Amino acid sequence: MSTRRRGLLASMGLATALALTISGCAGSGGTDAPASSGLGDIPTDTEGTVRILMESVPDTDIVIDLVASFNETYPGIEVEIETLAFDQMRDKLIASFQSSEPAYDLIVVDNPWMDDFVDAGFLEPLDARIDSTTDYQAEDFFQPLVDITEVDGVRYGVPFYNYALGYLYRTDLYEEAGLELPSTLDELVANVQQLTTSDRTGIAMQPQRGYKIFEEWANWLFAAGGSIYDEEGNPTLDTPEAAAALDAYIEAFTTAAPANSSNWAFDEAFRSVSSGQSASMISYNWNLPGLNNPEGASGDLAGSFALAPMPGGKQVLGSWSWAIPANSAASDAAWAFVAWITSPAVDVERVVAGGAAIRESTLSNPTVLESGYGEDYYAAIIAILSDAAPLSQGLGGEEMIQAVGTELSEAVAGTKTVEQALADAQAAVERIQR
Amino acid sequence: MTFRWAMLAPVLTITGVAVGFPLGYALYLSLTDYRLTSRGAPDFVGLDNYFFVLTDPRMWNAFSNTAIYVIVAVALQTVLGLAIALALQKQKWARDLTRAMLLAPMFITPIAVGLTFRFLLNDQLGAIPAALRTIGISYDFFGPSNALVTLAFIDVWQWTPFMVLLLLAGLESIPRQPLEAARVDGASAWYTFRRVVLPLLTPVLTVAILLRSLDALKVFEYVYATTRGGPGTATETIQYFTYQTGIQFFRLGEASAVAFVLLAIVMTLIVILFRRLQRSAAR
Repeated sequence: MSTRRRGLLASMGLATALALTISGCAGSGGTDAPASSGLGDIPTDTEGTVRILMESVPDTDIVIDLVASFNETYPGIEVEIETLAFDQMRDKLIASFQSSEPAYDLIVVDNPWMDDFVDAGFLEPLDARIDSTTDYQAEDFFQPLVDITEVDGVRYGVPFYNYALGYLYRTDLYEEAGLELPSTLDELVANVQQLTTSDRTGIAMQPQRGYKIFEEWANWLFAAGGSIYDEEGNPTLDTPEAAAALDAYIEAFTTAAPANSSNWAFDEAFRSVSSGQSASMISYNWNLPGLNNPEGASGDLAGSFALAPMPGGKQVLGSWSWAIPANSAASDAAWAFVAWITSPAVDVERVVAGGAAIRESTLSNPTVLESGYGEDYYAAIIAILSDAAPLSQGLGGEEMIQAVGTELSEAVAGTKTVEQALADAQAAVERIQR
Repeated sequence: MTFRWAMLAPVLTITGVAVGFPLGYALYLSLTDYRLTSRGAPDFVGLDNYFFVLTDPRMWNAFSNTAIYVIVAVALQTVLGLAIALALQKQKWARDLTRAMLLAPMFITPIAVGLTFRFLLNDQLGAIPAALRTIGISYDFFGPSNALVTLAFIDVWQWTPFMVLLLLAGLESIPRQPLEAARVDGASAWYTFRRVVLPLLTPVLTVAILLRSLDALKVFEYVYATTRGGPGTATETIQYFTYQTGIQFFRLGEASAVAFVLLAIVMTLIVILFRRLQRSAAR
């Protein structure tokens, strides 16, 4: 055989090997997970390590502080919590799901991810565990939070904390202006316009493209009587209600929000309100304790903030849920921790420490009501959680939120008309759903 | 195996593993419907992803945004960099201190630079708009018509020192004889710069522009930290678009196709630039 021919054969062999290697790489998910025992009551002598990935937020810090108490009940289970910024979490999770050596045994899932993760077979169904856990009182969880954990009638998660939105406002400024809380969208716009002065704006808004603007505007949509989906799950974004909501949003933005704030997100809006430069904002309910903390960002303004449901009473619901990866190496130990941290007694401790609510009974518990944030605050949360709907449902939640948020941003920036932006948003969601 | 091949083998192996495999794998992915959430083997879809991305107006909008960003940023960096390099060349004292201070922005991670400018340019909280207001100027740095230029200016702030570094090295390597001859002939400073310095600096200038352009083409962090591609799609660059498609929306097959389209365009531009450079060097 000539040298040239040998070289050709060698090259062909190498190319074939490379092609086989490459084709073997994509989609080669992790090994089949050990079958879940489905146990609800995990023996207290269980041993193992539970590696958890969580977001770097105050609610996570509260969970970390409770681990020592958990170990009093389960001394043989070591809990290792890794925290990451939101934007880095999902990539790490997917890498772990696909790996034969998973990095995490227990995770928290944001609601737009839930259906995609379930569809990919990444999560363990939890019905059997939830139903067989003694004194768990699963029916006590706020129903909208439970709905997010359910896909096709099967529960794949347990609520960790909610981030439903509400209207945060300065009570002193409302009193000074002689204003009542708005009960309609028109009243909200009129109020924030009236609260606007030469050195203060009526509302700090978050029109940054993508998640932020959609999350904020959807509250205006609900207040206008609109919805994101109809009963069958089809998008309803190009309705008269949606147009009215977007018109009102743009009017408030141009007449009562800080100048040049078309790119603002949470950080800017929160600083604007806490520093007294804006009178109100629409944000997560659990921002109220932060705003009213005398040692926090508000300084002398602490104590002058209050929380109310959106006009019309319906608002956007966000929720994080505990979930066990299908390839978890310690699913029983992981459930032991979930069942403990979300149990009625521990939930009271968590909420008293500043955690966001997940159980109805917790918010009527005397210990919680006396904990310092005030009965009005908890009453507002109950009202908010009793009528709240998530931004997305079904597959492609993240893409849907980004697509709609891009179109809304176009309308606010003036590069598209309200009608065109909403028609394009509707078309984008329909395409994503296909 | 001949001696020369034996000597080349290590570097060829490393290049094959570090560059060849990822490229080959990405090419394979671009021909499939692979999603990050897929667990089975992906289906082969031929050139469907390429047809999809080439007919997607958002991809071309992202490409045009990126092109404007690169042209504005690199043009400004070249002019500023050259001016500063010429000034530094003439500097007599405290040269090391000046150069060290000038180079500082280069060593900050771009994501931190993006976050810093996000707040520095914030109309209500930032120092720069506050300073502008004292002289009666109100400017929306992240408004729909200004955001892309603002991002380009952030790039100028961070990467002009790199241009200075390269051009200063180029200026200091220019032979002294032509400059002395021009001075003896009574040429003005501007004439000497235009007719002697600039032609001699062209090879360095070309490489500097090419390096900065390729680097600016990868802009992602500033977009991510400040505008997230908005308002609307005003600052959606090709890298941000690819990130969203592949990582955020899981469609890795499509994202790989976008990456290969970009690779083809960039390679074509590099080849054209280098040919011109070789021709001008030959003259």
